[in-house]
Amino acid sequence: MNHEGPSLETLLRRIAETPSDFLAAPHTPGSRTGVHVNAVVSDLLTTYGHTVASLSDFETAENAADKRRAGLTLVLCWLLAEPALIATKLDVEPLHALLTEGATDLAAQFSAEKYLAEPERREELARFALARIDLRPSGETVAQAQDRLTALSSAERARVIKASRKAEQRAREIREALARKAAQESADKYTRE
Amino acid sequence: MSAIEPTDADRYPLLSPDGRRMLDFLREHPHAPIYRNHSGNRLDAADLAHVRRHEAETLAATVGWPRNGHPDWLVSFLENVRQDVPHYRTYPTSTRLEDLPTTTRADFGQNIAAFVPDSVPTERMINFQTSGTTGHPLLIASHPRVAASYLAYHKRALRRFGVTLAATRGQVGVVLLGFQQTCFTYVSVTPSMDEAGLAKINLHPADWRDPAAPAAYLTALAPEVIAGDPLSFAELLRLEVHLRPKALLCTSMTLLDGLRKQLEAAFSCPVLDLYSLNEAGPVAVFDPRAHGHVLLQQRLYVEILDPAGQPVPAGQRGEITLTGGFNFCLPLLRYRTGDFASLAWHDGEPLLYGLEGRPVVRFRKPDGTWLNNIDITHALRPLPLARFAVHQRGDGTLAVSLEATDAIHAEALAALRKLFGPEARIKSVPFASPSGKVVQYSSALADAAP
Repeated sequence: MNHEGPSLETLLRRIAETPSDFLAAPHTPGSRTGVHVNAVVSDLLTTYGHTVASLSDFETAENAADKRRAGLTLVLCWLLAEPALIATKLDVEPLHALLTEGATDLAAQFSAEKYLAEPERREELARFALARIDLRPSGETVAQAQDRLTALSSAERARVIKASRKAEQRAREIREALARKAAQESADKYTRE
Repeated sequence: MSAIEPTDADRYPLLSPDGRRMLDFLREHPHAPIYRNHSGNRLDAADLAHVRRHEAETLAATVGWPRNGHPDWLVSFLENVRQDVPHYRTYPTSTRLEDLPTTTRADFGQNIAAFVPDSVPTERMINFQTSGTTGHPLLIASHPRVAASYLAYHKRALRRFGVTLAATRGQVGVVLLGFQQTCFTYVSVTPSMDEAGLAKINLHPADWRDPAAPAAYLTALAPEVIAGDPLSFAELLRLEVHLRPKALLCTSMTLLDGLRKQLEAAFSCPVLDLYSLNEAGPVAVFDPRAHGHVLLQQRLYVEILDPAGQPVPAGQRGEITLTGGFNFCLPLLRYRTGDFASLAWHDGEPLLYGLEGRPVVRFRKPDGTWLNNIDITHALRPLPLARFAVHQRGDGTLAVSLEATDAIHAEALAALRKLFGPEARIKSVPFASPSGKVVQYSSALADAAP
């Protein structure tokens, strides 16, 4: 959220105009039809000027949860193909993370269809995607963008709680490490302050 | 977890038979002090390679940045810490350093873990405990590589004085002196100096079996360098021990010219006055030719700030504020040190001019005019004082604590009387704490902070 991205209106309009092809069922090893999600991702990354050695993360398994995740990946691909986003020259790592972990987090809450059908969910989708690629809607401060996202998005709330638990655990580990006898003995310096 | 006792294999992973002999020599010498603690270098082969690389880089590096500019590493440093350090992730998005908040010792004290990068593994963390001048104990997260890297900056500082360290196996590289009631003491070897010996000792009589032992032990060790503070060096002078170190490294407290000259005369070597902090390591060394403290670290940016956190105009005094540093467990971002100086330039290098360990305190003369604490430093500078503190009470009386012989004590009081005038009420009082750091200047008067 550290950088300004396109306006929220631009993204909401794009989501509202999602072509039906992006809502088609994903191809799985057991099906003869369906959209090849890895091919769509490959096209998107090429548009951003990236080449990816492996697209295996985007193959869809035969279970309902993964199909739902793949559905979100497809919708996110459409959203990320917005020219105003392409102009921001995003790195491949945050794009990859949004299309994999981000899609999983979103799919844990609602289906792709639900995100497109309701105005609040469309805004959640737009804001969630921007946040994961370190952008915020133009004209908003970081605090405004974060507040609005947390208010709208149960996926974001879940992420914040998870991150906070992780941070607490890390802080505990550091405090314990510094309290160890070995840490207290410290190590040689040529001078002491 | 804290009960697991480290072994010598943990303390000296690379110890050779020669290194073992050095440890035995230091510990078992007939005049050795009572060593009360254990510590070690904790360096493995990969660490040692890292420390050697770092030393080569440090000795070859240029220190500084363009006037009115920033060092070239700053942008990527800011980017890294804003991603990797929990506390800095909460900062506003501005990429201009001057727009970012400052941090203080109190922030570290509140939650040191928030300042440790996520990418640093915790397994080999060590800590440096510091009481500081304010008396609040603080644990600084660090690593054996960081501790061992101090030496590179010492070598850089020593080079300015024409000194190159060459101690090797079978010799003692450094003795660190303390002179306190209780002091952390131990022996070790320095792998980057081919396992030259290291001894941290306390000159306090309670640590020795016999009053003649300290001089005999130091003579036997014949260290290449002696490190200490004005208090322990003053005690070293009192021992009248005949030593020929290549240099003395002085840290922790203001080193007055009088004591420095006595030490230089007694040991026929340069006495380096190092400005060093647990939070940042060796920051600068006083160079008399430059009339200031020359910076030592190639990846440490110094700002001089006013109380509101804004940089003061060049040449003006303010709080020394640090960004960067070599402790990868605790990268600093606008860390306010609590120490004061102005930034000046000498031969194209930035240096700290008029470094004082505490904020400026004004002292009122009987005629109602004010003196700066720097005037007091100047007045006492020629005297060999190990330690001093001046406090002005609410009624204007100066309460002066001095660590000196009777004759020097009288000279110091006379110097203060000359400075403040014959009407001044000056009283000698004992130090608030019998040993350790002191608050050099303080005042109960409301207008003492300018």
